[in-house]
Amino acid sequence: MIEVKPSDILVRYNVKLEKEMAPEEAAEELYPTEEPVRSIAKSIFEGEEDDVIEHLEKAIGAGKDPLDLITDLMAGMDVVSKLYDDGVIFLPNVMMSADAMLEGIDYCKSKSTKTHESKGKIVCHVAEGDVHDIGKNIVAALLRAGGYDVVDLGRDVPVEEVVEAVKKEKPIMVTGTALMTTTMFAFKQINDRLVESGIKVPFQCGGGAVNQDFVEQYELGVYGEEAGDAVKMADTIRKKGSKIDGLRDQFHQH
Amino acid sequence: MTVNRFTSMAYGSADEMIFGNAKKPVKAGLGLEIGAGYTTPEVNYAPRPEAGQSKDKLVREYEKITTDIMARMVQVGFPAVVLETEHVQEMTNNPKWGGEIAHAQKTIMEEYHEEYGIKCALRHTPGDIREDRDYLELRGGKYSTLMEAFDEVASNGADLLSIESMGGKEVFDHAILRNDMQGILYGIGCLGAMDMEYIWQDIAKVAKKNNVVPAGDTDCAQANTAMFIAGGLLDKNLAHTLATITRAIAASRSLVAYEAGAMGPGKDCGYENTIVKSVAGVPISQEGKTSTDAHSDVLGNLVMQCCDLWSNESVEYHGEFGGTSVQCWAETLGYDCSLMNVALKSGNEKVLRDMFVASDRYRDPQGYLLAYDNAYRVGEAIAKDGDNLYLRAKNAALKACEILDEGKKGNLELTRFETNALGKAKADLEALPDDIDQFMSDSMTKYKNEVKVFRPESNYGL
Repeated sequence: MIEVKPSDILVRYNVKLEKEMAPEEAAEELYPTEEPVRSIAKSIFEGEEDDVIEHLEKAIGAGKDPLDLITDLMAGMDVVSKLYDDGVIFLPNVMMSADAMLEGIDYCKSKSTKTHESKGKIVCHVAEGDVHDIGKNIVAALLRAGGYDVVDLGRDVPVEEVVEAVKKEKPIMVTGTALMTTTMFAFKQINDRLVESGIKVPFQCGGGAVNQDFVEQYELGVYGEEAGDAVKMADTIRKKGSKIDGLRDQFHQH
Repeated sequence: MTVNRFTSMAYGSADEMIFGNAKKPVKAGLGLEIGAGYTTPEVNYAPRPEAGQSKDKLVREYEKITTDIMARMVQVGFPAVVLETEHVQEMTNNPKWGGEIAHAQKTIMEEYHEEYGIKCALRHTPGDIREDRDYLELRGGKYSTLMEAFDEVASNGADLLSIESMGGKEVFDHAILRNDMQGILYGIGCLGAMDMEYIWQDIAKVAKKNNVVPAGDTDCAQANTAMFIAGGLLDKNLAHTLATITRAIAASRSLVAYEAGAMGPGKDCGYENTIVKSVAGVPISQEGKTSTDAHSDVLGNLVMQCCDLWSNESVEYHGEFGGTSVQCWAETLGYDCSLMNVALKSGNEKVLRDMFVASDRYRDPQGYLLAYDNAYRVGEAIAKDGDNLYLRAKNAALKACEILDEGKKGNLELTRFETNALGKAKADLEALPDDIDQFMSDSMTKYKNEVKVFRPESNYGL
């Protein structure tokens, strides 16, 4: 066996740059100070579904409006999103928090007769002919965790079904993921059908074989390199509008 | 077909393992013998997006790809090549399409073989289409279409049959995003292995009927999913230690193909193949630095250590400055193999192998585990309880934890996050029972509840 001193030939940048603060310590600094939002936010961060429900029950019992508590759940998810963006926590933590938050939202909705307004509706799908959906599932979970109402069409979704869903749901954004080169051609067909129908909704595309050059070939396409870009793009649409050129300026990195 | 479990190692020691040599070489195609003292490039490609619009367009696309590769190989003087066609879904869903493409490719390869004497073989890898929109449908109606696709390509020119099987992925996908070691072990080590045993006995029958080679499988759908989610050193999506433990479990699963009739070479994207080779002695294909056309990895040189075929994973067919993409990558692979073959002919093969390993051994936990000496130890842990699919997968996972712990005491640097994830995974594994029946029963209850798309009865006969 040949042994070379590792530092002579490579750099473990992740070890060198790891944040000093533990995730729990970092989260403590971000939790709201008042109750019950603090306890709710903390249990969201910890991904403890039972604790979330328990704190919500208590708050409702104390007279809180169930739909107002969704804002408290979002406060927990804001902590999670911030620490994920800062590289303090990893994706599984986000997924477990998202699971807990969705359970909390369902619980709050079940305790109210009023309707909850989301930040906006987003249609997600995996391209026709493609059954690889873990990327889409991550995108959908992150969007839901970000406060968006996700219409998840699933995988292997025919072009026509996506177009019909967009017409019916009127989303602020559509996402498409694909692993293979031939299946991603469906994105262009969806784009053409939407444009023909006069619909100008940003169509965020990403996944294994998908690249920026391909996505730029059709009018509504905006390339999403990472799953987390979906939330950032939706937030940008809410703040700055849905102009494709503006989104490309911000999100096309290559 | 019978299933013969591996309960001992093919190699007496890790140091016996080397690129270009397998205990059980495989003859295939036009004059090729894989693992018989030399390495061979295996070129992989994907058609352009618009090529899937019709059968005629797709056939023409693969004719161009095949001609381009063969032409470049003889232009630069390489003695052998394998072409791998990973099906786009249209080719498997319409078995005649796959057959026609295999025939078109093989006709071109035969012409080059006859004219230049270049040794070559064609691998076809039908897509695992056993799914509908909502569920895996491993044993449903699409199973017979898949077997028909194998038969069509085998009877029309494919020399090597492979697949990237999907069994267990529904539970795995849920588990990996939740740091759930039990689910990872159940999805890969048990469900995936059971499905592989089911499907490979039939693939082997198709191969025998057509006198071609049942080559091998990979845990791409799961262990590579983990590796790609984990990503590069700075990505914050999954602890690399967890992806590494997943890889060790994957070896127990991929081994099943060879227990159920496959003969090698294993699929290129099975990074677990060095472990598999140590137990089964079959030739393997690998990809590393030459798969940057498809994805990044963190063990680009190391993974060449024991390869018999050397692959570029997959490149979209298009133009580059130096020719078409498949020509550029075929040439790169050819030169890599030429260097390995020089080492083999000059008696320097172990030096070159160990240089490959030294390059990446400490770059990332995955490379550390897969370095051939450590891979061999994982192989031993699997073979020790080779008759018990659950226990051997659990052994592999625990051995991976042990090896990473040892590494950390030496030159393998881990972040605090990676160390914590390793500690948690180890504790979770140690808390699991040794009894397979209890584990299967516990897991069935848990994942039927947690994973809405899990259908144990129809997909696994449970």
